[in-house]
Amino acid sequence: MAEESYLSDDFLRQLINVGEVDILVGLPTHNNAKTIGSIVQTIQSGILRGFPRERAVIINADGGSRDGTPELVTGGSIDDVRPASNLYALRTLHAISTKYASSPASEVAFRTILAAAELLRAKACVVMSPESANIEPEWLSKLLRPIYRDGFDLVTPTYRRHKLEGLLITNLLYPMTRALYGLRIREAYSLEFGFSGRLGSQFLEQNVWTDGTEGSGVELRFTLAAITARYRICQSFLGEKDHIERRAADLVPALRQTVGALFSALDPDFPVWSAVEGSQPVAGTGANQEVLLTPVRVNRKRLREMFSTGVAELESVFQSILSPSTLTELQRIARTGKEEEFDYPAELWVRTVYEFAASYQKSVISRDHIIQALAPLFRGRMFTFLMENRDASANDVENNIEGLCLEFERLKPYLLQLWKSRE
Amino acid sequence: MPLNRDVLWYKDAIIYQVHVRTFHDSNGDGIGEFQGLEEKLDYLQELGISAIWLMPFFPSPLRDDGYDIADHYSVHSSYGTLEDFRKFLGSAHDRGIRVIIEMVLNHTSDQHPWFQESRSSQDNPRRDWYVWSDTDTRYKGTRIIFLDTETSNWAWDPISKSFYWHRFFSHQPDLNYDNPAVREQMWNVMKFWLEMGVDAFRLDAVPYLVEREGTNCENLPETHDVLKELRRKLDAQFPGRMLLAEANQWPADLRPYFGDGDEFHMAFHFPLMPRMFMGLKLEDRKPITEILQQTPEIPSSCQWSLFLRNHDELTLEMVTDVERDYMYDTYAESKTMRLNLGIRRRLAPLLDNDRRRIELMNGMLMSLPGTPIVYYGDEIGMGDNINLGDRNGVRTPMQWNGGWNGGFSSADPERLYAPLIQDPVYGYPAVNVLSQTGSEHSLLHWMQRMITVRRSTAVFGRGSIEFLYPANHRILTYVRRLGNEAVLVVNNLSSTAQAVELDLRRYKGNILIEMFGKNMFPRVGDTPYLLTVGPYQFYWFRLRRI
Amino acid sequence: MREMIISELSQALQELVRGFAHFLPRLIVMLILAFVGWVIAYVAKVVLRSVLRLIKFDRLSENAGASQLLTKAALPSATEMLGRFVFWVVWLGFILLGVSVLGILGLQQQIARFFLFLPRLFVAMFIMFFGLLAASFFSRAALLAAVNANVPSPRVLSLAVRSIIIVFVLSIVFEELGLAEQTMLVAFGIVFGALMFGLAIAFGVGGRGLAQRFLEKRFVRGKKEENEDELSPL
Repeated sequence: MAEESYLSDDFLRQLINVGEVDILVGLPTHNNAKTIGSIVQTIQSGILRGFPRERAVIINADGGSRDGTPELVTGGSIDDVRPASNLYALRTLHAISTKYASSPASEVAFRTILAAAELLRAKACVVMSPESANIEPEWLSKLLRPIYRDGFDLVTPTYRRHKLEGLLITNLLYPMTRALYGLRIREAYSLEFGFSGRLGSQFLEQNVWTDGTEGSGVELRFTLAAITARYRICQSFLGEKDHIERRAADLVPALRQTVGALFSALDPDFPVWSAVEGSQPVAGTGANQEVLLTPVRVNRKRLREMFSTGVAELESVFQSILSPSTLTELQRIARTGKEEEFDYPAELWVRTVYEFAASYQKSVISRDHIIQALAPLFRGRMFTFLMENRDASANDVENNIEGLCLEFERLKPYLLQLWKSRE
Repeated sequence: MPLNRDVLWYKDAIIYQVHVRTFHDSNGDGIGEFQGLEEKLDYLQELGISAIWLMPFFPSPLRDDGYDIADHYSVHSSYGTLEDFRKFLGSAHDRGIRVIIEMVLNHTSDQHPWFQESRSSQDNPRRDWYVWSDTDTRYKGTRIIFLDTETSNWAWDPISKSFYWHRFFSHQPDLNYDNPAVREQMWNVMKFWLEMGVDAFRLDAVPYLVEREGTNCENLPETHDVLKELRRKLDAQFPGRMLLAEANQWPADLRPYFGDGDEFHMAFHFPLMPRMFMGLKLEDRKPITEILQQTPEIPSSCQWSLFLRNHDELTLEMVTDVERDYMYDTYAESKTMRLNLGIRRRLAPLLDNDRRRIELMNGMLMSLPGTPIVYYGDEIGMGDNINLGDRNGVRTPMQWNGGWNGGFSSADPERLYAPLIQDPVYGYPAVNVLSQTGSEHSLLHWMQRMITVRRSTAVFGRGSIEFLYPANHRILTYVRRLGNEAVLVVNNLSSTAQAVELDLRRYKGNILIEMFGKNMFPRVGDTPYLLTVGPYQFYWFRLRRI
Repeated sequence: MREMIISELSQALQELVRGFAHFLPRLIVMLILAFVGWVIAYVAKVVLRSVLRLIKFDRLSENAGASQLLTKAALPSATEMLGRFVFWVVWLGFILLGVSVLGILGLQQQIARFFLFLPRLFVAMFIMFFGLLAASFFSRAALLAAVNANVPSPRVLSLAVRSIIIVFVLSIVFEELGLAEQTMLVAFGIVFGALMFGLAIAFGVGGRGLAQRFLEKRFVRGKKEENEDELSPL
């Protein structure tokens, strides 16, 4: 089988020694020495509490760490957990590590984890993120139990977030995947999720793997693959989402991972999403979406500036992507003088996104450039959302998001029309 | 064959545990006795064992299978006379087989004359021989051992209107070891049997000899003093005899019973046994290696005693709750099988009558550091009857052939002390000595060969142990060493074939010679030594440098 | 005397006729070649047009910015242009071939040189085309990156990138065509150098403060003011 050639001999040998497992925990890392020690302990705790009799393994796929992260993962013994938490380990818990590349590529890391899961015939698997320093041992049960005990194939997380965080999810990813694919999966792109061995094997075989240097958003593709192949999916509330420091420059890579992956999936998935109407809720465990309301400082002015600058400077680019009416509207908004009058309404945003999606499909210009061009427009949308919700309660925010979702669903025929038109 | 005169004979011994009542009945009353046992000594000699451990045969109301002794100087009438016992002892010695008998130090039966006297009045000279109290609040917090039947360690005696202390059944009052007369008397009891020629004592329930307020009344220093005194006298008057301790404790708490080589010679390693079964089910060596790592060093003249099963339940006292639940769920699904924090099943039924697993467990028994004890009947794979009360399900008559009463007795089947196992799988027509003697591939023959190989070298009984930790956790592997001799043991605990790479750099240049077939295996080089093992298979390799 | 003139005349006429007769087949051949060439050229044009339409050449040339140039010069689309160009080149080729058949010496050499020149012309056109494509791509990439990094005057940056690439491409094209190669290279060197020098001065002297802030933003991650209130999009 061709895909096994990217597993090193040493890793293969370690896998042989582990043998068959029931539970597999995948942990992709890159220079996470500061947080990885406690995360591994938490994972071990979680396994001992939730699955004391099951055979389990931690697979660390490392992207060329230089701070000793792999050693920290494999060095911690399961028995270190005992004095701290009074838990007893019946079995040996293996923690093995492999360096899949000299620089991080989440796609290759994921592929390595899937290959290990298949070779070890794991029944239930979970991927954890080394950046979430606030994970609890129960998170493992929450992500694994639906698969191990209840027969689900994919468990996506839901979090308690600040009402203004994760706008890319609430204003684009969630409404669009919901409208197109018909399932109300809140976090279709997530770094922590559970999946069955069945789903993992199929994805391993059928996905078109690249070398992942572009950050192709395999996490989102995985969710979409599960949806289109009609696997059983549910959501599980984990806890508070750890706030990760991000800079303005991180928006474009984030767009690539998420929106880029979504747009490129639309063409092959066309038979599926074109036939879907409306959306269905997804089975969920744990508390429903919770929202934090603590005040947070936001540099709104810069958002608005970057939107206006973007609209002005990228006119030539937008002319290839957007319809003339949409572009005119955007230019009008960009010229708004006062902050209070600035409004990037939902309908216009949906049209913008759909026109981008259609242009992406037709590759009117380089696809990566299309994604980059979306960034300033998204910032404008962020601004409007912030203004609308700065004093809103948790309920109001949810209602606003729901309203946006319905708008996406309502305008779906417009996307279909765009899709077929330029052909 | 005369007995070897080695003072450390017990390090090389293979012990056979048997109750005289269960083995062979020669007088047709349905109960085995010493004459019958003597008739079967040839069988035991051929099996290869070198010591017999006899369960209590003293006069007794038999409410605790003989551990409630009513007379220390005689033999229960069902089992014969004292003369029969003497004859048996002589015959055993002639065949080079030593005899270990029980001695219960901690308590007697309430039918014992001593107790009858003690309870009769407060002024009786033997009053102080037992532990009396006006209230039942003394020694609070001491755990109850027979949880399924007893609710307190104090029992009310209506005759003397006071409470007496009993760590076991209420009809087994504890002797008072603070009384020097008691200590003197118990030594005399032992001396009686030693002078007759008995080679060793298994001292029952030794942790509980002495009580003190504010303690858990177990393993107290005063108890050790009593035992050391006994040992001193033994060494002075009867060198070469052995004391075996029955103390169901964690290894660290057991260590004091060896003293500095001045207390017990041997003690049972209780915590290891359930972990061997656990490791087999988990297919993981972790429980076994962990407990042995935690086992302290013992004086060079001392020895652990290892066993797979015995006359009691497979005790789960010395495991954590998680482990106990796991053992119950995997080995004793039916609640009938559970008793007193243990599982009352024989070896073969516990292992689903799987020949491979039986062989593997025996292989580990014979290769781990200690003196192995084989429970009667396990060498032919006898089954059990869990519907017999208490622990009697594992104490059914020995199955000699497929005929009348399995060859155990000529009496009517209804007269037997206990019914024979009769089901199609374990029943005496299927499982018996005669048919297995006739079949070369039988478990009995295999056990004989195994014991022969084990006895061919002193390394198993007297050597050191060094564990190897290959990455494949399903493989339990260790090296036994004594002087220049080294034996590598590799055990596959899993039900599937395994590959394992061993780090044998220390033994580079050695050729591996498999001890059963005497075939050579490749020499150890620089690279990890690759071995493949079938399901539940094990290897014993002699490491030979030529 | 009259007979001499007549005989000379007839001889001359005969020579003429002979020469003409000698020449005529070649002329006919030339005309035939021209005609065949026209047919082939036409077929080639049609085929090429279909092929280009198939590979969406128009879109590519739009990306290259070539279409915009053509529109500005009021010329038809790139496909059409290329089609016509190929048509004329092929036909001209055949005509010249026919002319060479005529056997006029000096002309033959020139014709040969023309044919030798053709491949280089194609290569140059090829380079030009893809150069324009690259220029367009990279200038757009620079534009987007600058906009998203909040760099001031992104369009200027984009134009600068485009200009440099075009100038570079032009110099290669000229070198390929063998037209004033050295001059072009030197010119390119001068322009590029001057541009860089100018930028350095402008940036370093005139925009010192701006440069400082720009560098700080890019490389000094400690600066929290800008980052602290940036919400996480995911």
